Amino acid sequence: MTTVNERMVFLDGSRLIIEAMARAGAGAYIGYPITPVNWLFTGARQRIPIALEAPDEITALQWAAGFSSSGVFPVTASAFPGFALMIESINMSFMMELPMVIILAQRLGPSTGSATTSGQGDLLLLRGCISGGYSLPVFCPSNLNDCWDMAAASVHTAVNLRTPVVLLTSKEMVMTNQNMDISGLKEIERAERHMHEGNGEYKTYGVNGSLAPPFLPLGNELHQVRLNASTHDMDGITQKNSPEALDNTERLKNKIEDSIDEYTYFDHDREEGADTVILTYGISAEAAREAVGLLRAGGEPVSLLVMKTLLPVTPRIYELLEAYRNVVVVEENIVGLLRELLYGNRRHDRIHGVNKIGHMIAPQEIAEGVRQCRKPS
Amino acid sequence: MQETILNDLKMPYCPGCGHTVANKSMSKALADLGLHPLDVIVVSDIGCTGLVDPLLTCHTIHGLHGRAVALAMGIRMGLEHPEKKIIALQGDGGATIGLQHLLEAARHNLDLTLVVQNNMVYGMTGGQTSGLSSTEFKEPDRPESAVPGYDICALAHNAGAAYTARTFIGKDTAELWKEALSTPGFSLIEIVEMCPAYGMRKVQELHDTADYESVVTRNPRTVGLPHRVSGRSLLDGMKPIERTCEAPLEGRLEIIVAGSAGEAIQSAGDLLSTAGITAGLSATKKGDYPITIGTGFSVAEVILSRQPIHYTGIDCPDIMIVISQDGLDKVRSRIGAHTLVIADTKLGPELAELAGEIGANGEIGANGATGANGATGPNGPTGASGLPGPPDLVTRDFRKTGGSKGAALAAIAFWLQDNGFLPIEALAEAASRHKHGDKMKVIIDKAVAA
Repeated sequence: MTTVNERMVFLDGSRLIIEAMARAGAGAYIGYPITPVNWLFTGARQRIPIALEAPDEITALQWAAGFSSSGVFPVTASAFPGFALMIESINMSFMMELPMVIILAQRLGPSTGSATTSGQGDLLLLRGCISGGYSLPVFCPSNLNDCWDMAAASVHTAVNLRTPVVLLTSKEMVMTNQNMDISGLKEIERAERHMHEGNGEYKTYGVNGSLAPPFLPLGNELHQVRLNASTHDMDGITQKNSPEALDNTERLKNKIEDSIDEYTYFDHDREEGADTVILTYGISAEAAREAVGLLRAGGEPVSLLVMKTLLPVTPRIYELLEAYRNVVVVEENIVGLLRELLYGNRRHDRIHGVNKIGHMIAPQEIAEGVRQCRKPS
Repeated sequence: MQETILNDLKMPYCPGCGHTVANKSMSKALADLGLHPLDVIVVSDIGCTGLVDPLLTCHTIHGLHGRAVALAMGIRMGLEHPEKKIIALQGDGGATIGLQHLLEAARHNLDLTLVVQNNMVYGMTGGQTSGLSSTEFKEPDRPESAVPGYDICALAHNAGAAYTARTFIGKDTAELWKEALSTPGFSLIEIVEMCPAYGMRKVQELHDTADYESVVTRNPRTVGLPHRVSGRSLLDGMKPIERTCEAPLEGRLEIIVAGSAGEAIQSAGDLLSTAGITAGLSATKKGDYPITIGTGFSVAEVILSRQPIHYTGIDCPDIMIVISQDGLDKVRSRIGAHTLVIADTKLGPELAELAGEIGANGEIGANGATGANGATGPNGPTGASGLPGPPDLVTRDFRKTGGSKGAALAAIAFWLQDNGFLPIEALAEAASRHKHGDKMKVIIDKAVAA
């Protein structure tokens, strides 16, 4: 009775993420054990050519930077407590322009919080984690299929832009098993770095009009490579605030923002006549999809916008949201991080939230949130 | 002429600073060893030691304070050329904040050389002392009770460094650099220096302190290298679950299986999920257990559905299978009026009382009770009156049927027989995929027969 060519399996998001990243070219996984990234580590040990246990998360990121500077693509994964330790080294890698992916699996905070309870509390941390306010590209899978696609997109974007990229997920995505027909997964191409070629002049941070500089590994036989985490000129020489060095720093902002259309992913399930859109991401997206089904079945039109590229915020998201009278932002935190990211702290009559901590937000709660915002105040 | 690792720029250090001498020794040693600058990678720290970075003609990477040796480890593990020399330069401040990295590098014994230029002070920030400072470091506003510094050579040696050496500035250290660079594995040189701005003013004072002595130590060890695997696909090896039978279930069914650690609760949940997929359903499963996975409760949450499952949460389940007190303690608050509870005999009295409490509370559950055989559920609750009623409870001695590791499976098999949602053949089919499938099938057969 099996459909021809169907390959139905029972698996978790961790397995898909690691396999996708391996196919995209991940050559090293460096981890420090922390729940809920346990299964990512397990998968990496079987799949990634070099899988290492670092003694702490600072070391994990430093090793990752070392691998990346010698031409190997590194991946690491953690939850908030470990990510917090990584931040200085992520800044270093951002400044050195070393591609890598950091998987951040959210859990309930603050602090150690509850290691095995899901959460969506780290979005604004990512928005602010680079000193100077620069965005890292942040991808966020909303279901198993996205675990595959966004993992691949993370590696490709990191390589193309020579930057650390964060794959933001949560406990429920990486530690829940679901059935899936894997025959429909897209082919993943290996991400290849744009290399400097030939014997001509090489400046480590010389771009010649492109967004990111061509790469050469440390130790190559042709040209001196100078990587630098301090403010530096195109040669990689430390400068206090010379025009060339400040231009180079500004380029770090521009290369991420100017190419946003190349890595913007979202699902917009638009219903004709709907005056309300549910806006969400990550683990709350699946509940929102069910809520949309519930509402439509009851004759209540509603649209759904699931963001999969969270940072930097693309103007296209606002263009889509402008079409609706009401925006209901659904996220598993009680502060409203995506709401604040998009609309600041000022209250807007048309912007509403469905928020909760400690448990996943249920479809009925989202449907109720949509109904509430439609009531005349 | 041999290219040297230093260019023509003026050294950025104060007159009398030991760093100038140390860097010249490095350059001389590399030239003596016949190394071309592109054969060398220098990893430098934040602090005065890192100011040499712009003067270097080799590959350079200038990172964070205290992390140079960790970064150097990453480079060594990623680099395809073992013949390239990797040198990490740190001061005593960097060695203090990054002490763990130093020990880790020694433990792994990767082939790299760390040089700690210990001038006993944070010179850039006002003259604070570090974890490597002498107790005789002279500063007027220094706290009176000086704490002895780390002996990083002894620490690194004990952690497994192939080579460690401590020496004093004032003489040419090139021979030590050459020795360190020629020793396979992790080598550390601590050069005790003076900062002309702080602390001791005369070289003789350095030698007079009892805090440092010249040493050379060795550990004959194999050079560390990261383990590499060929990496096998995580998907290709997964045996597809073929649809071999048909489940009557039309809607969504939420099931909680609860027991204790070591009672194969998670594999029972996996098996039930696989059975559902075998019968053409969608399935999700998640586990819940304390961080101490060898003790306490173990709970598996399973959803089976005719339609694709998006939301994977369960509040009050339709079916709850409980086989131990640990499990019951964890999930008792989630029993709703519509929940069919299938439990081990020992839990009967407590569950009966609980069911009574729930039944007395008219606010809980609106589906009405299901039949005692569990033949109905969320698709068509058939509480006789249609009013809220107590949850239904069935108890059996599942431990007798399945043993402690098979009790949950026995309870699932007992429930599945004739329940109208999922054929028992699906469970047997799912078991046949398992490495302990034969044992599982025996339990399933016994549970059905009982």
